[in-house]
Amino acid sequence: MNLIDRYVAEVGKNLPLLKGREDIEKELRSTLEDMLEDRASTTGRMRDEAMEIELLKEYGSPQTVAATYNPQPYLIGPRLFPFFLMVLKIVITVLVTVLLILMGIRAVTDTPFMGAEFVNIIGKGLGGIVSAAIAAFGNIVLVFAILERVLPDAQINALKTDEEWDPASLANEPDPDTVKRGELIAEIVFTFVGLAILNLYPEILGMFVFKEGDTFFIPMFSDAFFKFIPWINAIFFAEIVLDIYLLRSALWTSVTRVAKIIIEAASIALTVVILRTPNIVGFTAESFKNFPDSSVNGELLMKIFNISFSIALVIVIIVAGVELAKAAYGLIRMNYRTK
Amino acid sequence: MANTESLENVVLELRRGVITLAALSQLGTEQYGYSLLKQLSDLGLEVDQGTLYPLLRRLEAQGLLVSVWKLEEARPRRYYIISAEGKKILPKMKKEWAGIVSVMDKMLA
Repeated sequence: MNLIDRYVAEVGKNLPLLKGREDIEKELRSTLEDMLEDRASTTGRMRDEAMEIELLKEYGSPQTVAATYNPQPYLIGPRLFPFFLMVLKIVITVLVTVLLILMGIRAVTDTPFMGAEFVNIIGKGLGGIVSAAIAAFGNIVLVFAILERVLPDAQINALKTDEEWDPASLANEPDPDTVKRGELIAEIVFTFVGLAILNLYPEILGMFVFKEGDTFFIPMFSDAFFKFIPWINAIFFAEIVLDIYLLRSALWTSVTRVAKIIIEAASIALTVVILRTPNIVGFTAESFKNFPDSSVNGELLMKIFNISFSIALVIVIIVAGVELAKAAYGLIRMNYRTK
Repeated sequence: MANTESLENVVLELRRGVITLAALSQLGTEQYGYSLLKQLSDLGLEVDQGTLYPLLRRLEAQGLLVSVWKLEEARPRRYYIISAEGKKILPKMKKEWAGIVSVMDKMLA
């Protein structure tokens, strides 16, 4: 193997695994031969190893030469990068939220509140969330790096949205103290529905089972839950009063923000108490004995209902927490501005 | 120092912009890589081989050039020539170029 062959082989080794790699090597060899010949004829020297060395030095290191042929120096190229970012944001947000909820459920239901074990679960949970987020990030990068290499250009270009951009979509930034009427109205409607169901039609919260012409009703909640009804009513009522007041005044004030904080804190406290009350769900293994299909595992169903209920309550806590934080932030910003 | 560097960068960018048009304009008759390089150089456009060869392959992948291997003087050479598609697009590129030149001439006069 002469010097030129060794050089060409070295360039080939550094080329990406593309079809056309042999072709590139062949063309490079042919070019180098042409250049040597040209050099020999113009200088009148004989072609020798010294001339080859001189030429190869000018031509550049095999790595540099190979790099000029590399059509894809990106792990994730600029065309796919916006989609990569979009997917990354969605996946990481959903993943972290779900894991936080699961950790919250475990911490609140499995342990004496605020004990050493509670702290332990939170600590381990946060560590787990960080490593899960890093693992998700790595996987998304891997998927996009593969897509970058296997997707034909046409498909990548098709991903671009050609929607015409409308400058009117740059809405004015709303006054931070303006109330959002739509949100308030929705909140009032849902709270009324909740109040009505809990107080007037508690019997629809359950399951009807039809068996041999008879109807059996399995209530969703136990008596332990219904003891909380007055408290729930009080909070719902306060929420509606505040919402109606806000609808009329159209602006947040420090008084309404403090009221909002108190209401949300109360609903968080109440939800935590409900969450930690045993046997809140009315379904028991016993209550499933009327199921027409005897293969239904009452024990398992009960567990599923209990867990679903806990998850629902944790979501209520998180939503109330977010509302509380928004109100608190508004209050702080308000004070900051008046100073 | 910084000034020389930015000058070099601008010159590099300008040159990179015209190489495609220069190569396409010269490939009405078939040429192999090294002969094209020399021809461009004879006409006054110095192009680095590390720029020209990958560019030729890209233009071929885009359908603007076609290539064929020929055995000459006991050495195979890859000959490139403008494709039908390239012939269609070249006049448009020339027109664009003329537009840029006239605008820049006015601007720099």
